[in-house]
Amino acid sequence: MADYTVEIENVSKRYAEHVAVNNLTLHVPKGSVYGLLGPNGAGKTTTIRMILNIIAPDQGTIRILGVPFNDSRITDRIGYLPEERGLYRKMQVRRVLRFLAELKGVNGAVADQRITEWMERFDLRNAEKDWGLSKIDELSRGMQQKVQFIGTLLHDPDLVILDEPFSGLDPINAQALKDTIVDLKRRGKTVIFSTHLMDNAERICDAVCIIARGEKVLDGSIAAIKDSHGSRNIALSLDGGSSNGVGAILADRKLVKRVDDSNRYFEVELVDGANPQELLHRIVATGASIQRFELVQPSLHQIFLERVGARTRAPGEEPWAEGVEIGMTGHG
Amino acid sequence: MAKLWTIIKREYLERVRTRWFVMATVFGPVFFGSLILIPAYMAKKSKASTEFANTIILDGTTTGVGQRIADALNFKRPAGSVAPVVRVVAAAELSQAESTATHQVMSKQASGYLVLDAQTVKGDSLRYAGRNASNLNDMEALRNTVKETILRERLEEAGVRSDKIKALTLLPLKLSAQRISDAGRGGSGTVSIIFAGVVAFLLYMSIVLYGQNVLRGVLEEKTTRVAEVVVSSVPSETLLAGKVLGVGAVGLTQQIIWVVASVVMFKVRAPLMSRLGVPTAPFQMPEISIGFGILLLLFFLLGFTFYASLYAAVGSSVNTEQEAQQAVQPLLIMLVATAVFINPILMNPTGGTAHVMSILPFSAPIIMPLRLAIGSVPWWDIASSLVALALSCVVAVWIAARIYRVGLLMYGKRPTMKEMARWISYSH
Repeated sequence: MADYTVEIENVSKRYAEHVAVNNLTLHVPKGSVYGLLGPNGAGKTTTIRMILNIIAPDQGTIRILGVPFNDSRITDRIGYLPEERGLYRKMQVRRVLRFLAELKGVNGAVADQRITEWMERFDLRNAEKDWGLSKIDELSRGMQQKVQFIGTLLHDPDLVILDEPFSGLDPINAQALKDTIVDLKRRGKTVIFSTHLMDNAERICDAVCIIARGEKVLDGSIAAIKDSHGSRNIALSLDGGSSNGVGAILADRKLVKRVDDSNRYFEVELVDGANPQELLHRIVATGASIQRFELVQPSLHQIFLERVGARTRAPGEEPWAEGVEIGMTGHG
Repeated sequence: MAKLWTIIKREYLERVRTRWFVMATVFGPVFFGSLILIPAYMAKKSKASTEFANTIILDGTTTGVGQRIADALNFKRPAGSVAPVVRVVAAAELSQAESTATHQVMSKQASGYLVLDAQTVKGDSLRYAGRNASNLNDMEALRNTVKETILRERLEEAGVRSDKIKALTLLPLKLSAQRISDAGRGGSGTVSIIFAGVVAFLLYMSIVLYGQNVLRGVLEEKTTRVAEVVVSSVPSETLLAGKVLGVGAVGLTQQIIWVVASVVMFKVRAPLMSRLGVPTAPFQMPEISIGFGILLLLFFLLGFTFYASLYAAVGSSVNTEQEAQQAVQPLLIMLVATAVFINPILMNPTGGTAHVMSILPFSAPIIMPLRLAIGSVPWWDIASSLVALALSCVVAVWIAARIYRVGLLMYGKRPTMKEMARWISYSH
């Protein structure tokens, strides 16, 4: 019935010291991979906890899979991987997984069968070794993360919520996680994941919502967001780095709105109405040797900086003070 | 309900499987066994020693009472002991004879010496010096023997026939003490005091041990963030309830094993003791009625729930073991304060302190069962204690559930009392 798996309408959550989420409205399309983006402390975890009915909003409504969020029937249809991960350290892997499955209403026999399947799929059980019989604290960190991920999916949830799923994953596990997310989508499940890593989001998400300081900055499909931010960006690469003359041109606020030095090239955003040809002519005039001059769509990263960072950064200025990490995950 | 059961099951099984539980459960009966056997063994040790008759009697009375005492001692002398020796000494030479006897005791020719003089004949005093002077049984036997002998002599002087004397002085008075309560007579007084003490101590121990267990469990779930996964599947109240019930069931299991083992131990006590060569003293098992058993269970469950939910609240409000140790102090103070009063209340189970402490919720679950074990308690006392405890339990669980719900997801700085009070007021 619902076209949206999650509908959040005008939701606010206040704590004594601060407003965690302010009048947030967002819609997660059914069967999509949805990214909840924002700097640390933006209210992503609070939003997720409200969707999960761990905490209640002070105002506004949340509907999940067509019913109110506090309907007890839906908890069994949601799988959740929290940001900070951990399991009962002294407990046997299989027993932990069965416990997590039973909490979601899966009966023991079905759970056992699924545990075996998943453990084989993630190579935690093979001809040599069955890690299911080990205790959690005998597993490596990577294996523990796999176990926890299995625990999130054992009850075959229709909505999977992953809070910062890529943090701390090595390239191989990150790839496995990405593959699983794509597979879930193919099977018609909805996946919401929060991240502050824009590259991941751009690669995997169908749609995103960027929030900062508890408020929505923008949302929509990746394609629509990029279109609306136009092609005012230029990837510029110079032989031998930028000369002083080029630096002065890039600092010209009448022409250039912002510049991001990505080491191998500059991502230049022009001010509205400026002509890219003018920039090209002026750079050529300085005698600099141009390797690349390409009109590009802004990256999600750029859009994020523009909308969240909200401060234009001239070359040489201190990098972003907004807590945005430009960390790269291993995969890709 | 199914999910609550899942949580209870995990809490229970994971604890029962630990080495700690197995050790403690086995150690318990061993402890009780030694509690039964060691006193009996000690009692055997402190029986009249074989040395008791090997005594030099310095008779400075000229009445011949020394020989009579020697005869009496000889008569009661345990097998394998040395017969007493009588030395008739002039009153003036007594001190000389005493120092000779001292040397003999020192060189182990005798165990001690008894000094009889005019004061003894008058019935005033008697002196003994020896290696076994600290053995109360020996000294009591000696005093009785002398007393009886002097009494006989006086009767003889009064002209009573000697066969009459024997009949007159034969008084093997054995005191059997029985407890009287409102319900009538029954049980031995000492046994019920020991029993009550054991009950109170066990309740105290299990509340402290398993309360701490709840705290550690909550802290583990919080620090490993498992709590967040669990509360996304069940309400936090269910997790709290499951934890308290699961851990409580572990405590109950352990106690049931202990009680059963103790009863079995009791049954095999007599054959075991005779093998040790200790004659079994008549030791009465305290009578435990079904009513008492049910009340005991009720007080344990309420008391445990009261403390365990508060322990859980503490566990959810802190981030490390160190913080937990500090934050748990108020709870421990309540428990220790109760334990301190166990002894005085055992001595005076109907006094004002006993009454007050069986109403206060923090001490009632320990003090009321203690009073019940000692003797009958008026029903309105039991009822008021139960009602007070049950009401406090509801309040404690309500407060704990609210602190727990917020604290479980709150990391960082330890909250102040004021902040925790605000958590209680949060709607969700």
